[in-house]
Amino acid sequence: MKKYLYIFKSELMSNLQYIFDISIGFISYCILIYIFLNLWQYVYSDPSEIINGYTMKQMIWYVIITEILWMSLSGRKYNRKICNDVKTGNIAYNIIKPYNYVEYSLFSHLGITTLRFILVTILGIVLGFIFLGSFPELTVLSIIGVLISCVLATIINTLIITSLGLISFYIEDTSPIYWVYSKLILVLGTIFPIEYFPKIIQPIIKYSPIYAVSSAPAKLFVDFSLITFIETIIIQIVYFLACLGITHFIYKKGVKKLNVNGG
Amino acid sequence: MLMEVKSQIKATHLSIKYALQRELLNKFTFISNILFMIINNGCFIVQWIVLYSLKQNIGGYSFRQILLLWGLAAMTYGISRFFFKEAFNLSDIINSGKLDNYLIQPKNVLISCITSSVEISALGDILYGLIMLILYGLSVKNVILFLTCGILGSIVLTSISIIFSSLSFWFGRTEMVANTVDSLMTNFATYPEGIFKGIIKIMFYTCLPLGITTYIPVKLISNFSLPDLIFIIFGTFIFTSLAFIIFYFGLKRYSSTNLMNARI
Repeated sequence: MKKYLYIFKSELMSNLQYIFDISIGFISYCILIYIFLNLWQYVYSDPSEIINGYTMKQMIWYVIITEILWMSLSGRKYNRKICNDVKTGNIAYNIIKPYNYVEYSLFSHLGITTLRFILVTILGIVLGFIFLGSFPELTVLSIIGVLISCVLATIINTLIITSLGLISFYIEDTSPIYWVYSKLILVLGTIFPIEYFPKIIQPIIKYSPIYAVSSAPAKLFVDFSLITFIETIIIQIVYFLACLGITHFIYKKGVKKLNVNGG
Repeated sequence: MLMEVKSQIKATHLSIKYALQRELLNKFTFISNILFMIINNGCFIVQWIVLYSLKQNIGGYSFRQILLLWGLAAMTYGISRFFFKEAFNLSDIINSGKLDNYLIQPKNVLISCITSSVEISALGDILYGLIMLILYGLSVKNVILFLTCGILGSIVLTSISIIFSSLSFWFGRTEMVANTVDSLMTNFATYPEGIFKGIIKIMFYTCLPLGITTYIPVKLISNFSLPDLIFIIFGTFIFTSLAFIIFYFGLKRYSSTNLMNARI
């Protein structure tokens, strides 16, 4: 575990040199928040109106948090990196080193994600306060709860994207699979809380990875309760263990098919 | 002059044909890229079904008009990325000195450069655009207007990218500016104009011409008006001319990096 923490730390430290470049990448975050602000202001003709249990301010804060989780992850780049490692044979250099490729990728990616998370959270909170003028009701317990849930969501999401990237052992380009995954997260987990969907599909979304990686932390932020927190953490731990197992399984099966030409 | 245009069209056709043949080498990836792009775009219909269950009219658009808006946005994006892919990497091409390859050819530098490769997944966007048109309502008039607006819109999208990428001739690494404008154009294009207020609406008809690429075309297909069509054609002409003028003006400042690379 110590070596992985070292990988995490060195990735975090090296990216501290590029804070400006990383921050520039968040322009699209500002654009999305601006679009959703306009959209929800239009849908909620009266700001005090409650739709499906959410006020307009709660809905905008919900989107701010889900977008923080998604933007800090930079999943498309990470998926492409895993895919390229397999396609180009780069993975062979990692296999001979005294660490596991899955854990190495996970901790290395979490290093950069941590920095991006801190930066985009500051930006999101500032934007939310400028646009809405207030925060949801927060306590020390709720802030800690949301943070724990965000960390677990990011780890689970990273593991899922790692497994999608590792499918490159079987097909050449996994980007299309990643596009669909990202859009499912966006539509079913980022834009709307599950209460906005028909009652019949709400349990499906609630017990799907989409809830664990996107909706759950945002829901805790806008409407915290101890019961929801415990329920969320249980769901996230189950998904963490399942995703860890699946990623290792795909890696172990796939790496046997690896054929690298020297040169 | 006419012979020159004919020769340029032939060269562009061959360039796209060979780029497509290169991509067809791996048929599974080719087909999966297109199919998954259609599914990827299709996911957004869920978003609008949910929104329209809350309100019957969003930003002055009915649900059918939203389908048309998505169709036009996908069509313009798809055509521009498929035929003029390198216009969206132009800033990098200028900075890394890769324009050398096109300067030595006896053809139009800008056109040869932007048509030198194709984006296969963009075919998925084009097909998705056509599916949305079918869902909106198929008629001879709608097909002609949809294709005309799609082609003109894609030329405007490409021109905007060329204009902002050409800033690299003067200011060096300006990919960030070009990428941001591109991101703004793509993100705003799929939301109805009516939900936005203030200065952003002025931008839709000036530096971010979404009015020409999507908003006026939706109005035009829903309710034909000749002045709107003339406005789109005129706008396309202005942005295309600006793209050529700015690029060739900047090209005078271009200096090679003596980069050695092979085009395969």
